[in-house]
Amino acid sequence: MTEFTATSLLLATFGLLLVLGVSLSRAVERLGFPIALLFLVLGMLAGSEGVGGVAFDDYRFAFQVGTMALVLILFDGGLNTSLRSVREAAAPAALLATAGVLITAAIVALGARLAGLDWKSALLLGAVVSSTDAATVFAVFRAGGFGLRRKISTTLELESGLNDPAAVILTVTLTQIAIGPSTLGWSLALIIPLQLAIGAALGVATGYASRWLLTRIRVSAGGLFPVITVGLALLTFGITTAANGSGFLAVYAMAVVLGNGPIPYKPGLRRIHDALAWVCQVSMFLMLGLLVFPSMLPAVALPGILLGLLLALVARPVAVVLCLLPFRFKRAETAFVAWAGLRGAVPIILACYPVLAGHPHGAELFNLVFFIVVVNAIVPGATLRWVSRRLGLFEHARPTPSAVLEINATSILAGRLLAFRISPQVAVCGAKISEIEFPPEAAVLLVVRDKRILAARGATVLNEGDRVHLFCRDEDVPFVTLLFGQPEDENS
Amino acid sequence: MNLREIVVEQAIVPRLSALDRDGVINELVGALIDADAAEASARDALVKKFLDREAKGSTGFGKGVAVPHVKHDSIPKMAAAIGLSAEGVDFNAYDRQPVYTVFLLLSPADKPEEHLQAMEVIFKNLSKDTFRRFLRQSGSVDEITELLTDADEQRIGG
Repeated sequence: MTEFTATSLLLATFGLLLVLGVSLSRAVERLGFPIALLFLVLGMLAGSEGVGGVAFDDYRFAFQVGTMALVLILFDGGLNTSLRSVREAAAPAALLATAGVLITAAIVALGARLAGLDWKSALLLGAVVSSTDAATVFAVFRAGGFGLRRKISTTLELESGLNDPAAVILTVTLTQIAIGPSTLGWSLALIIPLQLAIGAALGVATGYASRWLLTRIRVSAGGLFPVITVGLALLTFGITTAANGSGFLAVYAMAVVLGNGPIPYKPGLRRIHDALAWVCQVSMFLMLGLLVFPSMLPAVALPGILLGLLLALVARPVAVVLCLLPFRFKRAETAFVAWAGLRGAVPIILACYPVLAGHPHGAELFNLVFFIVVVNAIVPGATLRWVSRRLGLFEHARPTPSAVLEINATSILAGRLLAFRISPQVAVCGAKISEIEFPPEAAVLLVVRDKRILAARGATVLNEGDRVHLFCRDEDVPFVTLLFGQPEDENS
Repeated sequence: MNLREIVVEQAIVPRLSALDRDGVINELVGALIDADAAEASARDALVKKFLDREAKGSTGFGKGVAVPHVKHDSIPKMAAAIGLSAEGVDFNAYDRQPVYTVFLLLSPADKPEEHLQAMEVIFKNLSKDTFRRFLRQSGSVDEITELLTDADEQRIGG
């Protein structure tokens, strides 16, 4: 077989898996399973021991691709995180992402030690599975039509963006300790906060620098903007990691700064990074599915599943309850956060690291991690909706808009395009457009009712459920929100 | 339409005793009920409607003022209450600043256009720095009604 044929076959298989996976995703989601798992299973089926027979055992390649994927996923997460949610949830999320990670890791390590692992491997295992998955959490809350109270969802989202860095640092350090001559270093207590501090500082700095660059740079086509942002994300990660900071945190922080500022082509950038993050997420799971050898799994199945349950039912709840104690969370809210400890690709990527570093039990740990992740994706993933109802936290989600109107400009325009869903509570509900005395530079552009676009004429009556797009100057936003309520997307 | 037509004099509260948003809304709805502008039996339903509206986005549009407003079947005629808070109330306002002046508006459900007109009159006046400052400095019902009259007769500049 020529290289050309081999490559085309590989691409065809990969393409088929992507198409198949996404086509099945809706049905899988209805059952409550995270889409990621579907791709993991597809990857396993396609693997050397499945029907596909694709041979793949390159941990290094998987680690590199996984790292890049994680960078892009965190970048997308940051781009969609409003400053408001950062302010609201920063303190509890930060505690969960640091102390919470340590507590979770410690409890899992204790379990792993009892299951027969030596201390160093047990601690490493705890570290690897200690962070919740940003992509899975974002996907569940954004795609799942969850109508959770904002405080809970922002805490979980922010936590998931912030705790990967802590887990990465912990894993890398513990791996070094496990394979090196040194014992458990006292320096660990210093390394984590130091790396996080460097990561946050460099992230915010590169975020502002990127904003400056994006608003000044001239490009010949709008399609080049995402190329710059991808470049900036990778650059931020690289620079920060080289400076001994947490590159993942830096990317996340940089994206938050970027996403909350005036940058050109913003809606387009959001959409493209959203799609990129999905591609990264599913490819990563496919690849990781390929990397798992099902024949090696039965040997660790029982301890793996038990450790997975320990993480879901003991470690995560204990960590959450302790971390949220200083904050005013209702009992039901704490319970929900404790339950929503969704794990995803991060632990699997992290599990490649000990293998790469030549850890003697690397492969065994990798397979254990596989089970722990699967249990912690299925158990909370499949039951979250039900749990949120039981806890009385479920609020009806806003319906997904049937149309989105955006302006994609390659430079920053003055004025705002806002979208409102008309609820019966707002002043304009039931009124004719001509009865609204708009400021001189403001106007309703169009009204989307069910599946129809209506012209915004004076006689058009705004009904409950209509989606109204209007244009106004920045200084008119207070008046417009007084009459129409909160705009649907505050960030644009 | 002018402010004197909208604001019920007996429902002007120069010193609000409530210290939080829900309390202020409750207090001002109570003032309108005491002034016979709303029915006592509808009290809970009205308060709930105001809070529902706040949940759709704060009516605190910045600069220390908030205009909670709802339409309701039980209301025969448009009526507004005014409340002043010396301490300031957290209304989750647009500019994140505390709210010192609250214009609470109740309208009949079947006249959305009147409701809108009233909102515009209130907003137009509250957008004026002078009006806002004078209102906040007012200490009595008489001072406030006088200020409303002045505003209606265009004696207050921007």
